[in-house]
Amino acid sequence: MKHLRTLIYSSGVAFALATTTAFAGDPYAPYKGTTLVVNFPTTPHFNAVMKILPEFTKETGINVEVDQLQYLKMRERQTLELTKDVGDYDLISYVVFSKADYVFADQLENLAKYFMNPKLADPHYDANDLIDGYVANIGIVGGEKGYLPGKTGSLFGLPFGSETSILGYRKDIFEKHGLKVPETYDELLDLACKIPQLEPGMGGLSSRAASGHHASHAFLLHLAPLGGRIFDDNWNPIMNNEAGIAAAKALKTIVDCGPEGAKTFGFAEAGAAFLQGKTAMFLDSTQFASQVNDPTKSTVVGKVAWAMHPKGVRRGSETGGFGIAIPKNAQHKEAAFLLMQWLTSKHGDKLVAMAGGNPVRFSTHADPEVNAKYPYMSQFGEALKYADPDWRPIIPVWGKINADLGTALSKVLTEDLDIKEALDGVAERTRATMEDAGYYTWQQ
Amino acid sequence: MKTTLANRLTPYMFLAPAAAVLIVALLYPLGYVVYASFLDWNPSQRIGQAEFIGLRNYYNLFSDESFRESFFVTIKFSTIVVTLEMLFGVGLAFLLDRNIRGMSVLRTLFILPMMISPIVVGLMWRYMYHPTVGIFNRTLKAIGLDPIPWLSDGTWAFTSIIIADVWQWVPFIFILSLAALQTLPQSVMEAARIDGASGWQSILYVKLPLMMPVLVITFLLRLIDSFKVLEVILVLTNGGPGLSTEVLALRISRTATEFRELGVAAAMSNILLFMLLLLTLAMFFYNKLTAIRAFRLKNIAVEEV
Repeated sequence: MKHLRTLIYSSGVAFALATTTAFAGDPYAPYKGTTLVVNFPTTPHFNAVMKILPEFTKETGINVEVDQLQYLKMRERQTLELTKDVGDYDLISYVVFSKADYVFADQLENLAKYFMNPKLADPHYDANDLIDGYVANIGIVGGEKGYLPGKTGSLFGLPFGSETSILGYRKDIFEKHGLKVPETYDELLDLACKIPQLEPGMGGLSSRAASGHHASHAFLLHLAPLGGRIFDDNWNPIMNNEAGIAAAKALKTIVDCGPEGAKTFGFAEAGAAFLQGKTAMFLDSTQFASQVNDPTKSTVVGKVAWAMHPKGVRRGSETGGFGIAIPKNAQHKEAAFLLMQWLTSKHGDKLVAMAGGNPVRFSTHADPEVNAKYPYMSQFGEALKYADPDWRPIIPVWGKINADLGTALSKVLTEDLDIKEALDGVAERTRATMEDAGYYTWQQ
Repeated sequence: MKTTLANRLTPYMFLAPAAAVLIVALLYPLGYVVYASFLDWNPSQRIGQAEFIGLRNYYNLFSDESFRESFFVTIKFSTIVVTLEMLFGVGLAFLLDRNIRGMSVLRTLFILPMMISPIVVGLMWRYMYHPTVGIFNRTLKAIGLDPIPWLSDGTWAFTSIIIADVWQWVPFIFILSLAALQTLPQSVMEAARIDGASGWQSILYVKLPLMMPVLVITFLLRLIDSFKVLEVILVLTNGGPGLSTEVLALRISRTATEFRELGVAAAMSNILLFMLLLLTLAMFFYNKLTAIRAFRLKNIAVEEV
């Protein structure tokens, strides 16, 4: 009897040892053969990710099935998926706007328990190397203002496929006329209207301006560097203060001196105008950069250089794009964490960057190999040091305020509505929306 | 006793399957929308988690400037569009109501626009309205005129969506009026001709009055449809510039997806539904009225004989 017990005990130890050694050798082993279902958009970054996923399966034995959707369709699908008891997605990529909604509805996993788990968390991950502005904007919730990092904040997602704003300009045109690359807003606005005079038929700077989200986005791009914000610390709307008016004026100047038809440009049209050589400058997302030297899309191959988003009273380029997170109702959460950790690790980030994606680490932006292939990367890395995670509020009612702001600005651009009057109207309606949503509950 | 009851129930039993389908397929979704319009419902919540707020969505809507603006944009759009379409459609039918060789080919050609998917129509017109490479502005420039800001100026954008909609839906009116014209009794035409009616007179006093029942129904059908127009405008302007082309259907879609207010979107849908219901009732009563009139006329004719 005793003999038998010893036997069972010793075999138990042997088994435990065997499994421990398996863990020690390969953290991915317990999840080998698992198939993860992930939801990615069809942006250039995620198309690049598709190319490196086989590498992940080869290294880890975890299979990945990707449901790739047009990025505007993702939200709808995810909203349905996340409210189910058992979800089909193990990992989702989300637009930064969704962060507030998903976390508020308690639909995303807090990542703390995964980073605490020694069997899952890679000690060489080096989270400090992740771009601060991206993590603050896309990953952390619950700190300052509720949507930013702070003493009460925690991490729900990792930035992946994120972007900032950057100024692209035509080297040939600037050299031809001996122009200086603009470093401040004054220089930028001056140049934007000077170029159409120097190069008849060419617009100065290509910007989005279409009614709604596009106009609002373009305005916000200028608002942060010019010292403005949408709300003060007490949620009072202040987009109609001096900085707000300056930002709207800047937008109007840029659109008026822009290429023909600029008043209805969305992101795609603004980009196309630059690629077709109809404007000398482009100020928007870094996502755009990989197309410039693609001869099938661009007529300005090799003629474009990049500079930092010009400075107003401060530096403040946008932060946005996508992050990845694990839904609360996912079926393979641990394996999903391993995938998200791998994708954003130094190794994974570099692979994505080499395949044409947007890296999320400072080290990848500085990597010589990456720079040999994409010479603008180090410049982007420099710009990212000034990325502003608070350039626009990430609150559930933002969609409504954003649309109203974009409509009012469109009226400024197309119907010559007075800027002050337009922004005052937005501020008034915003106050009502915020009041309704309960943001003034604590105000006396 | 039992058999009489069974007999009495028989028709209802035959009706039951149809009634069940009607309740499940028609009334349930409708009731759902009406119920949703009383909720403060965001898409991340299940409907059970949403807060019941009574009529507040409706109350807020009536004081919402943007909603009022899109409401009037819709009314303006529908009125102008349907009037123009009726004029062109009926006119075209009169012009083509004759024996021309290859008439059937022509007729098919004329109704082509109606058969194209609205998204494609939107894209097509968007390229034609393009400020630099579009056919309109290139032609204007070629003959030395100033280009027109088709989609970037409020008034022009509104005109542009009207042109696109008229182009797409004139064929609908045309085909129905042509059918009505061709079924008019030849004897009446002959009588008019013998009495010496000119072309215009026979159109104004004979053909149009006889076609009226069909025209009124066509008009109402188009009016109802034009209240719900979405895709072409979505692609062409997405409601801009400002709110100059934001029709109600577009506002509803944006409220649900962009602002994430499903309750408010439901309330707007119900207001739209109510308006359409009024129009449908108008159509129903018109039908009733003409039926009664026809019946009376027939009786008089019978008595006179």
